[in-house]
Amino acid sequence: MGQVHQRVPLIDGAEKVGGKLQYLADMTMPGMVHGALVLSPRPHARVVSLNAAAALALPGVIGVWWHETVPQLRYNSSIWYVGQVALNDEAMFAPVVRHVGDRVAVVVARTAAIACAAARAITVEYADLPAILTADAAAANPGSVGEGEAPAFCNPIDHVKFVHGNPDAAFAAADLVVETLVSTPRSHHCAVEPHACLAYPEKGGRIAIVSPCQSVFAVQAVVAQATGIAEADLHVMKSPIGGSFGGKAEPVLDPICAFLAATLGLPVRIVLSRRETFVATRTRSAMQGRMRIAMSRSGRIMARDTVALVDVGAYSTGGNYLPGSMLQRLVRLYDVPAERYDGRAVYTNTVPSGAFRGYGSPQIHALAEISLDLAARELGIDPVTIRARNLVAPDAIEPWQGLSIGNGRGLDCLSRGAAMFDWQARWARRRDTGRFRRGIGVAAATHINGCYPGEEEATSVRMRLLPGGMVELVSALHDLGCGSDTTLAQIAAEVLGLKAHQIGITPADSDLCPYDLGTRASRMTYIVGEAVRRTALALAGEIRVRAALALNEDPGRVRLEHGLARSEEGEMSLAALADWMIGRGQTLPAASETYRASGNPSSFAAHFAEVEVDTFTGRVAVTDYLAAHDVGLAINPMLVEGQIHGGIQIGIGYALYEDVAIDPETGQMRADSFARYTLANALEMPPLKVLLVEEGEPSGPFGAKAVGEIATVPVAPAIVNAVNHALNTRLSDLPLLPERILAAL
Amino acid sequence: MNMLTVARPRSLDAISALMSDGRPLHFIAGGTDMLIAGRLRPKDGILVDLGQVAELSGISVVGQHIRIGAATTVARLAEDPVLAARLPALSQAAAECGAVQIRNRATIGGNIAEAAPAADLLPPLWVADARLEIRDHDGSRLVAIADYIASPGRLITAILLPDPDPAPKSGFAKLGSRRELTISKLNLAMLMRQEGGRIVDLRIVAGAIGPRPQRLKLAEAALGGRFLSPKALQLFAKALSDEVDTAIPTRSSRVWKRRAIVGLGYDVIAAMTGHSPRHPLFAGAA
Repeated sequence: MGQVHQRVPLIDGAEKVGGKLQYLADMTMPGMVHGALVLSPRPHARVVSLNAAAALALPGVIGVWWHETVPQLRYNSSIWYVGQVALNDEAMFAPVVRHVGDRVAVVVARTAAIACAAARAITVEYADLPAILTADAAAANPGSVGEGEAPAFCNPIDHVKFVHGNPDAAFAAADLVVETLVSTPRSHHCAVEPHACLAYPEKGGRIAIVSPCQSVFAVQAVVAQATGIAEADLHVMKSPIGGSFGGKAEPVLDPICAFLAATLGLPVRIVLSRRETFVATRTRSAMQGRMRIAMSRSGRIMARDTVALVDVGAYSTGGNYLPGSMLQRLVRLYDVPAERYDGRAVYTNTVPSGAFRGYGSPQIHALAEISLDLAARELGIDPVTIRARNLVAPDAIEPWQGLSIGNGRGLDCLSRGAAMFDWQARWARRRDTGRFRRGIGVAAATHINGCYPGEEEATSVRMRLLPGGMVELVSALHDLGCGSDTTLAQIAAEVLGLKAHQIGITPADSDLCPYDLGTRASRMTYIVGEAVRRTALALAGEIRVRAALALNEDPGRVRLEHGLARSEEGEMSLAALADWMIGRGQTLPAASETYRASGNPSSFAAHFAEVEVDTFTGRVAVTDYLAAHDVGLAINPMLVEGQIHGGIQIGIGYALYEDVAIDPETGQMRADSFARYTLANALEMPPLKVLLVEEGEPSGPFGAKAVGEIATVPVAPAIVNAVNHALNTRLSDLPLLPERILAAL
Repeated sequence: MNMLTVARPRSLDAISALMSDGRPLHFIAGGTDMLIAGRLRPKDGILVDLGQVAELSGISVVGQHIRIGAATTVARLAEDPVLAARLPALSQAAAECGAVQIRNRATIGGNIAEAAPAADLLPPLWVADARLEIRDHDGSRLVAIADYIASPGRLITAILLPDPDPAPKSGFAKLGSRRELTISKLNLAMLMRQEGGRIVDLRIVAGAIGPRPQRLKLAEAALGGRFLSPKALQLFAKALSDEVDTAIPTRSSRVWKRRAIVGLGYDVIAAMTGHSPRHPLFAGAA
């Protein structure tokens, strides 16, 4: 009652800010031992030998494991259910290391400090192999990049071609053709909590894994594949998570911890250092793109021809999905009569890429939105106007998968955002010519809601009334810190006439929770939220039937509100109802539902940025920012705004600073610490305004749809477009480092 | 005895006593460099914690000098009203050095002794002709900051700044990858007086264009003795860029730094002469 569309504080917020929440690195167990990794300093090499004598001689060292002493089972860390077919190219420790930071060995010791000292004492002999360090080099040399291990290690790992309409005819008939090259960097998630995992033996010969993960079932599937331990013998529990952004979607440490716990019969914990998190986990794939746009004089896009080359790094992970994912997002934004797309993903000997907020969307939107702005400039058309002339209308059918975009409100985001930003007046402002030059930029974006029509997009939820009147909600839920537990509790509470904090959410546990795909693909609110709403409705029906008996009333006349079951005849609290039922030996009301998605509507956004560029130093200050988002309905406007604020922070870094900067000659990562990898900190953040467009998505819970990933998607192109406006340049290599800006002047 | 022990002396005399002990001494004050995980730490000798020595901390005016205890924190420098009036370049550099947490721990002596090429406090100290009070087993003496070379067993006990009346104008600016919590890719301090509108006694020192701070005499000559005018500023800008070309002729960062230094130079001149850097005077490109 009154829970949806309310600024309900995070249900675990007080625990977090009070320092009471126990993260994995805070957890300890009797007899727990610690692992430390030995990582490769070479980009591609055979591990010839390993000398652990000095390490083993250290007091407190328990053992050292490397490729000769662990199972050589190949796995793919991106799978999310047992039996999922993927390119299995990774091993806990392989005979060949494929990137600087690849895993060579693990040392286990009584303390973490001893384990780290022992890891440093290990000497490894490598035989270097030819390394492919750039996507260009990979694209120029298709075929095997491993040693007879195909289909793994074979370039390209994916090649998606798509043609819609008649691009050749459209280009021939166009009034203007503009070609733009855009490159996006390899960026890193930079979650406050580094990667960590704890595994320990449980009764019955099982192994328990505690992991700050995005899906306990994904951990179970990956660990089973990597270690050979049967998935039924793996009991995975999600720990509180100190940020993920996709970085913890793929298990990195979990197979090793599980293997060691099984081998040693001891609890084993590994917590990575910041540098290890940079070089040995996951990044956002780098993209080089080329887009040709055929325009009519009036500003209609007649056709686009897009070529995208994605560097997925040393292991496939889910990188083979990227070209298709990028296409899926590309074709949902504008009504383009003719489209040609050619997307390839290639291996290189660099840190693997993986899931990262938007999954290909920031890359493809950077390409499309920077390209469109430069085309608009050549046509002399205002960037807002050109977008308004091409954005898809609600209920449009996108041309690739043939799906409806639902009640997509891109045009509302654009027009209402432009008005609120005072776009026209700012655009009409005379161009600066001095040292400091201001400019404004806009970018539109779209994103999906869940995985439909891909892997079966379904989720199961169980709920029951507890003694005391609370309601328990059980599903494999993984709140990554953005408040999905609170949002889902609000949805359940709204239906049941309770408050969000009266919904008890069981942290994801593979033994207790029905299967869910996990927190990914912007699916929590739209998919899981609807599953929760339906389950809550079923539970509410059960409760009303029971309450009707207790109140001697017709069930149809019982309402659930303010924590009470009410009718004209009387009322009772849910706690009293539970007591009444327990007194009669009855089972308390419960419900479970499985919800299968049957569509995948689009969320939309339009972002507006004002920048000021110092043409002497090349520094860009983002001086004003407005984000307009089509969210259907904000279950919790405060959390939605928080998601958007965080998305803008990541996007500003993507536009201006962030790049792990892998040396194309040596494969070394130059920015492997917070001293060298620059994030936008508080001082760099502009004043942020958020405009929510709430026109309702009929298939979403209470009309809601996703905001999590899209919040970061349009940021970088909006800023780049603003810089190009300020300077009258055609900058398109991200990030816009001062050196690059000065070189363009 | 071949291991590291720790001493926490409470006076300079106690430090002198340690100096005659014969074992290698390693001084630690804020610890913001030495204690970072992974840095090499000394394996033997005495680690001397300077945090308990009251004489090493504080800012005072002594005759014609400002005396800054070497263990005075950077945060303290940044908030000191005397420094803000007498050598704003140092106050500004202190305020922009590291992050709040670093400034609360790090000391001026440590910044000098660690001698990082990008150290933010060094250019202001160079332009101000600071002298360092150095103590070792031979006793105590003064050296000019430009002549100082760190060596084991030598301790900076104080920094002496000349304090002429009236105080010169001075200023500082830096460029890193973002505005705060950033290591300088370039920093610049200037000091000058104005006589009837002319800029005189101009001293300019830049950091992060060489292993140690660089005095920019060409740029000083380009602007020194002149009135502030677009023409003079253009000559000044060209001289600054030329200085960078000379200092780092082969570095890939040269192209960016030779222009960026003009931005810093204009920012500092503008601040010292009470202008906004957006004043039309500074609109001319390098």
